[in-house]
Order: sequence, then C-alpha cells, then structure tokens
Amino acid sequence: MSQVQARFFTENKKYLVDDVPFSIPAASEVADLSGVINKLLEANHDGHKHVEFDFLVRGQFLRTKLANHMETENISTVWILTGSYDKTARIWSMEGKAVMTVAGHTDVVKDVAWVKRDGLSSLLLTTSLDQTIMLWEWNSERNEVKARHCCRGHAGSVDTVAVDPSRTKFCSGSWDKMLKIWSAVPTVEEDEMEEHNRPRKKQKTEQMGLTRTPLMTISGHNEAVSSVLWMDAEELCSASWDHTIRLWDAETGGQKSTLTGNKVFNCISYSPLCRRLASGSTDRHVRLWDPRSKDGSLVLLSLTSHNGWVTAVRWSPSHEHQLVSGSLDNVVKLWDTRSCKAPLYDLAAHEDKVLCVDWTENGV
Amino acid sequence: HSSKRSLTKIYAYGHDQDQRKFWLALILTSVTLQDIRNTVGNIPMEWYKDYPHIGYDLDGKKIFKPIRNKDELDEFLDKMENPDYWRTVQDKMTGADIRLSDEQVDLVHRLQEGKFGDVNFNEYEPAIDFFSNEVMIHPVTNRPQDKRSFIPSLIEKEKVGKLVHAIKMGWIKPRRPKETTPQYYDLWAKEDPNSILGRHKMHVPAPKLKLPGHEESYNPPPEYLMSEEERLAWEQQDPEDRKLSFLPQKFACLRAVPAYSRFIHERFERCLDLYLCPRQRKMRVNVNPEDLIPKLPKPKDLQPFPTTQSLVYRGHSSLVRSISTSPSGQWLVSGSDDCTVRFWEVSTARCLKTVEVGGAVKGVAWNPNPSICLVAISYDDTVVLLNPGLGDRLVSTATDQLISSYEEPEEVKEQPVQWTVAEGEGHEQGHRLILKHPKAVRQVTWHGKGDYLACVMPDNGSSLQVVIHQVSKRRTQNPFRKNKGLVQCVSFHPIRPYFFVATQRYVRVYNLIKQELTKKLMANCKWISSMATHPGGDNVICGSYDCRLAWFDLDLSTKPYKVLRHHKKALRSVAYHRHYPLFASGSDDGSVIVCHGMVYNDLLQNPLIVPVKVLKGHTITHDLGVLDVTFHPTQPWVFSSGADGTVRLFT
Repeated sequence: MSQVQARFFTENKKYLVDDVPFSIPAASEVADLSGVINKLLEANHDGHKHVEFDFLVRGQFLRTKLANHMETENISTVWILTGSYDKTARIWSMEGKAVMTVAGHTDVVKDVAWVKRDGLSSLLLTTSLDQTIMLWEWNSERNEVKARHCCRGHAGSVDTVAVDPSRTKFCSGSWDKMLKIWSAVPTVEEDEMEEHNRPRKKQKTEQMGLTRTPLMTISGHNEAVSSVLWMDAEELCSASWDHTIRLWDAETGGQKSTLTGNKVFNCISYSPLCRRLASGSTDRHVRLWDPRSKDGSLVLLSLTSHNGWVTAVRWSPSHEHQLVSGSLDNVVKLWDTRSCKAPLYDLAAHEDKVLCVDWTENGV
Repeated sequence: HSSKRSLTKIYAYGHDQDQRKFWLALILTSVTLQDIRNTVGNIPMEWYKDYPHIGYDLDGKKIFKPIRNKDELDEFLDKMENPDYWRTVQDKMTGADIRLSDEQVDLVHRLQEGKFGDVNFNEYEPAIDFFSNEVMIHPVTNRPQDKRSFIPSLIEKEKVGKLVHAIKMGWIKPRRPKETTPQYYDLWAKEDPNSILGRHKMHVPAPKLKLPGHEESYNPPPEYLMSEEERLAWEQQDPEDRKLSFLPQKFACLRAVPAYSRFIHERFERCLDLYLCPRQRKMRVNVNPEDLIPKLPKPKDLQPFPTTQSLVYRGHSSLVRSISTSPSGQWLVSGSDDCTVRFWEVSTARCLKTVEVGGAVKGVAWNPNPSICLVAISYDDTVVLLNPGLGDRLVSTATDQLISSYEEPEEVKEQPVQWTVAEGEGHEQGHRLILKHPKAVRQVTWHGKGDYLACVMPDNGSSLQVVIHQVSKRRTQNPFRKNKGLVQCVSFHPIRPYFFVATQRYVRVYNLIKQELTKKLMANCKWISSMATHPGGDNVICGSYDCRLAWFDLDLSTKPYKVLRHHKKALRSVAYHRHYPLFASGSDDGSVIVCHGMVYNDLLQNPLIVPVKVLKGHTITHDLGVLDVTFHPTQPWVFSSGADGTVRLFT
C-alpha cells in the first residue's frame, strides 16, 4: 500500500486547511479525500458541515483513484538524478522528462547522490573532475536548485560519493588515493556582514555555495579510489585501483580489514539484507565477498556472464538475493545469487557502455 | 784296406746334407790319424767339380779322379741292377766308389738308431756310487769343518744389514703382512644391477622358451580352441604377426594324438634364437627431443598480463602515430595524422579534450614527473609543450608558474632551436612553450626527472640529428659533433646519466657526464625502428623493421642476449612496463605481442623471457598495423595505437 504526499490548497477561505504535506494512501478516491478534508475542517472549526469536495490535480478533476489518476496523468513522485560528462547534473522524472539541470561545475560530473529526498526540498550531491563536491538544494515544487556548499579538499578528480544512513555525513573517494568525510547538513548562510567587505567573493560563493572542508581524511589506498559506500553509520567500505577493498572505521579513520583481489575494482555495493559485498572489476566477473571474513580475501561467489569490464553493481533494496550489474558491453544483467551460473535477465537496450545502475525504492 | 785307407764317402740315400757331413766328419776322425791322402782339407768338393783332379797328395801331386764318367743312363742301370748299390759310397776325396763292409754298415745302422758306435761298449755298466747313503767308517775327506759351518752366516748377516739399512732409508718398502681374513669371491656380483660388475654385464642369457600352456595340451578347454573366424584371421595373418604359431587342436584321447609335425621347424627356430640372439648390449641413448627444449614456465603462472581487449578509444580520423600515459595513469594522450591531439580518460574511453595543432603529429610524450603537468607534442618542425590542465589543479597551476617564472639570462647564447612563449589563443588551449627546430622532428622523449627533453630530427647528412632541451633553463644543446648514421630513436637511461642513440644498425650508449661513447651494441637487424630501456636500467630492447626484437643485456655483451622473431611483419614499437616484468611489441601485422621478461637482481641469472600473449584487435589500414605501444604506469594494461585511427586498451 503505497503512500503519496499531497498538499491541499484552495482559494475559498472558508475551507482552508494547513499548507503541510499529508500522506495519503495512493488508492484513495474522491470520497476518501473528501473525508480527509472534512475531518481536518472539523478539527479546526467547530460546526463544520460535511461537504462533498471535488479535487483538481494539476488542473484536472480527480475522478478515479488517486493512483490511477496519477498514472494516467503521468505525475511521478520518483526522481532520477544523473550526472554527465557535460559538466551538469540532471533530475529526471520516471517517464524520462528532464525536469531540472544542475549546472555549476567547471568540469565533468563523475558521481551524484541524494542526501535526502522527501517533501518539497531535497538535498543532492555532485562530484566532479574539478576536485570539488557540491551540495545542492532542490525545491521540487518551484523547481529551483541552489548550490549550498562547495566542498574542496581533494587533490584529484573525485570519482565517487556515498551518503551515510543517518544522512548527516557523506564520504568521497578520489584519484588522490584519499577518502574524505564531510558533513551533509547545510549550514545557514552567514549574514550580510561579509557582503560589504568582499562583494566579489560573495558573488562567487553565491554561485558555488560556501566552501566546506572535510571532517576527516582517511588515507591508506595505494591507488585511486573508485567506489565508496557506508555499511552502517560507523563503517565505511572503499574499493580502489590497487586491487583491494578496505573497511574503515568512520569514527577513528582507521582501517579495519582488507580484502585483496587480482584486478582493479570498478564498483562495489553492500546489502544489509544478506550482508554481502558485491564488486565489479576490470575482468568480466561480479564477485561476492563477506566483509566480516578476517582472512584477507574470500570470494564467496563469482558471477560470470559479461563480456567486458563490470562498471556498476547494485543490490536490490528489497530483495535479499537480487542484484543488477552493468558493464562496458552495453548490457545490464539482473542476477539472483541463488542461481550463480547465469543471470535472470539481460537488459540490452543501451547502445554504448553502461556506466552506472541503480534501483528505485520499491524495488522496480 | 778300405777301413784303413779309404775315406769313405757315404752316399746315404734320401738323407740330407747335414747328416752326411756329420757322419763324414765322424768317420774321418776315426781314420785320419793313419792315412792322409788328400791334402785339400775340409773344403766343399764342388770346387773340384770341373777339374779332372780332386786334390793333391802329400808330395804335391794331383790326385786324379777315376776315369769313368757315369752318365745318367749308367747311373740308372747301376741303380737297378747292382745289388750292392745301396752300400756303395763315393769317396769325396778320391772320387772312387767304395763298397762298405758289413761292420761299416752295422756301424752306420747303430749310429742311425742313436746308439753308441762302439759295439763293445756297454752303457749299462753298474754304477759305483761315490757318495751313497751307506754310512762308511771313513769320511770322504778328513778336512775339519770351517767355523762358518756352525755359526750364523756372515754373508747373510751383511746382506740382512744392507736390507735393513735400505728399509730404514726408505729405498725398499717392506711387504705388508697378508690379511689373515679369508677373501671371498662374490659369486653373485654380476647379477646385481647396481654394482659395477653387474652393469658391465655383457652376457646376454639365451632367450627362454615359453613353457607349454593350455594351448599345447592335446585336450585344451574349449575357450582355447579357435572359432572359424579366428582361424581364418589366423591364417590370413603373416606368420611373424601371429600370436600362436600353431592351431590348438582337440583330441579325444592320447592315442589319437598324431606325431608332431612342427618338431623340426620348432627346433630350427630355437637354434636361430640361440645363435642369432644379440651377444652384446648396445647402449643406445634415448634422447627425447622435448627434453632438450628448455622448460619455460607456463603463461598461466606468469599472470598478471593483459589478455583481452577492453576499451577502444575512438575519435581520431587518421592514423594515430603516438600515445603516452600520464604518470598517475588516469589520462592518455594520443597524437594523430589528422593534426589533432586528444586527451582521453583511461577508465571510460572518453575524449575529454582535443587540441588542434598545425600539422600531422609525429610524437607525443607526457612528462614523467608527477609534479609537472606538461605534454610535449611534435609536429612538422615544431615541438609544443602543452599544459593539458587535467588532474590536480594545484599541479597544473604550479606548472604554469614554473614556466612563467623563467628569467632570461644576461647574455643570450646562439641556439639552434628557437624558444618562444605561447600567447593568445594558443595559451588558452594550453600551449606554453613553442620550440622551433631547423628540421622535422620525429620523436620526443623525456628524461625521468622531467626536466630534459630529447628530440630526434632524422637526417642522413647532418650532425644535428639529436638535440637535448632543458625546460627549466630554456637551453638547447647538440651533444654530438659527428654524424654516425641516420638516427632512428633515442632514450634516456632511467637512473644513470646514459643516453641511448639508435641508428639503423647499432645502438650507441653515451655517458653524458663524461661526454664519451661507452658502448656500441650491435643488433643483428637491418633497420632498427624503435627502442625501449628497462626501468632497472641494465637491459634494452630494440624492434626492427625485419620482424626481429633484440634484447640486450648491457652487463652481458654488446651482442643481443636474445632475438625474438614472433611477429610476421615489421615491428613498429616496443615498450617496457614500469613495475611488472612485461614488455610488448607492436607490429604491422596488427597484433601486439606481450612477453614476460623477468630481470633478476643477482648478476648470475640471465633474464627469463617468455612470450605470453598475442593481442589482436587492430585492423590493418594501408598496410600499416599497430604504430605505437605503451603500458599503463601502474596496472598491467597495455595501450596500442594503430593506423585505423583507434587506441585500444588491453587488460
């Protein structure tokens, strides 16, 4: 039973309700919505009589169930954030319409991540070849995006970023072999005291946001870090070109353990459901590891079906055994770990190399 | 009278000359005391053969032969008819025939039997012992005994003393006492295959006969009898191929068994076996030809090395002559005949930057110093030092600062190459310094520290073929005065101040500090095309247009340590990996061959070279295949650029 966030507003002052988002079951009909409004009005004003309301959604009368209406009218709640080599990031709706372009980097955008994605304003991160990470705020209603912070500190192109489960911190990995942990909470802009003193600087920072420095720097890899993720609020996992996957303690910055492989790791993904790490390398295999093993390297399973480098892997957020992998041979494959010989599905629709894959929240 | 006077000449029938002489001498001595008739003496009477006389008597008168000439017929008649012929002897001295008397004949017979001549002589007279075993009263002599007969012998004492002295002086070694333990002869030494005697055993025992089995029985079990097909097959086989030389037969009882027809045949074959069997063991040396080939490790054990093509960098429109990787390994630069230089991101094959230059790009080289971000690009007769602005911003800006902080010296020396600073649009694109050379530049290569840059301007006539630039001082030098041949390529030694110059057939090693020629390596190739130096500094490989790759070990000799002929067509480029023991060669047949080349630290072991993989992927365009090969600085990956306008990554 999925829920939809909705806000109600009307010009009729008699029936005003609070301008806050409500969580409405997606299968509600007009009568249900009407009931909700009536209850709200009853709660606020006494002596309210039950009135049948009609609802307009985006200028259209709501006749069927809310979910059906939304489907037919193509109103989506799922947004896809992509970063591109044209130095911008874009937000797309489920249908494929580009809703917003996030421009601000001076070089290729290598990785993007949502910090939080609820309600009206969402926070998102973009990392780039220009050695910076920018924190943006997107107002989905007004469709505006604003740069809140520009995180500087890396000495090489930032190739990967990951947000921690508590959504307060994020970690980035780059070509300078370092991992840096930053705070993800946007601070309020300073007062206009600075405005008079340094107008030029204010202008620049207005465009790019306030500069931020890392909370912690973790070093230990011998080559570029290609992928980083949080296993829980205190544990980090990073994969790098020096053929190792390392587990770090986020509090102290110390290395917990290392898993060694033979080839450069391109990407990793962790599933809390089955507690396994999946990695894609510059050979054609997807390997599953147990991060708790103390020995050094124990590949539990090796899934082979691709014809080129595996550039992206992702576990399903809802399904314990499913994962998807994308590769340079233009094919995306869906695997079930219980059948290790062959993937469940091959999704061959891309015409060129697949660089990144992800799941939606419901597991679609 | 004949016994007194005659000198009997014995005519012994059938006896030889010696015996005759002997008896003649014997009889003469018994007679000569009385009467000497002939005074010639003991001479061969043939001397008087032709004379009528036979000698002289005591008075000196000739003694004439008796007048009678017995010719053959007379002799023959005499022989047949004269009954005394057998006892007639011609006296040599007088020539007369003398008839032997009975006593004389008897004497002759006795002598012939070997008895004593004298009849009366008895050789079996009883012997009278002078010394006998009978003890007599009186001794033979009464001489008293000498003292030496009952004291120890003095002579022996002297001899013993001499022997002792000799032993003490060591001239004579005393005999070792014999071993009292009995020595046994090992009867079975020859049987033991381990002992020397056993191995020398040349005796080959006769082949044993096979004992009779069930097939030879007169009533064999039915399974030993042959069926019809088996019998036909047996008959059709050659007698040598048959397992059994007979057909097993079944009889009801022993009485029914016929005579064995093959008896003689069998015995004959057994004899053949016995005397035709080999008498000596021939020690044949069984050499497996595979044992002679040195055992190289399998390629599986020599991982990691690039095995498959992973990425193709597409974008150039003409052949890509030269590629180079950044020291961090994130970027790749390629220069092509379509007058562009492209910068690629290695992991995604995306072209991030394209720079247009004024001519076909012949060589690109990324500065190996990680703190300087410069790329040297050569086209026509110009070399441009370009700051691509990729990678760390700080490094990029530091490089710019380094270039712009140059101060001109007071006196400007005359230089063969003109240095100018790029301005305007060139500067926007990234050009920082432009070097104008007198001739077309073919190859650029950096020194390991990143300050010196060597350029090659091949020209058969001039002595200005190689120039070395120093970027920090903006100075150019021509290190060579004499022209030694058409220079193909140059390279710096990674550690020591040596400079390698490859001309068409030789590679010359120069010491830059001492400014002299150190070594001249002779490659067996007709035309060297490319050269690479091992990061350890002691090995050099040269690729040539006649399909050969020569590996030189500088410590070993000036001739190549190994020459590899893996490619089918001309080699265009060779490269070493910086960390892994790999080297690669790209050739016109469109393939890149990666070999494992392990160089050991101890000087005793030679480098181990094992070809490991043939990487195919490029298409041959205009008869040209792979033009340049380079390794990734940190990963075991190889990049190759080809005439088809692509750069390929093999991992």
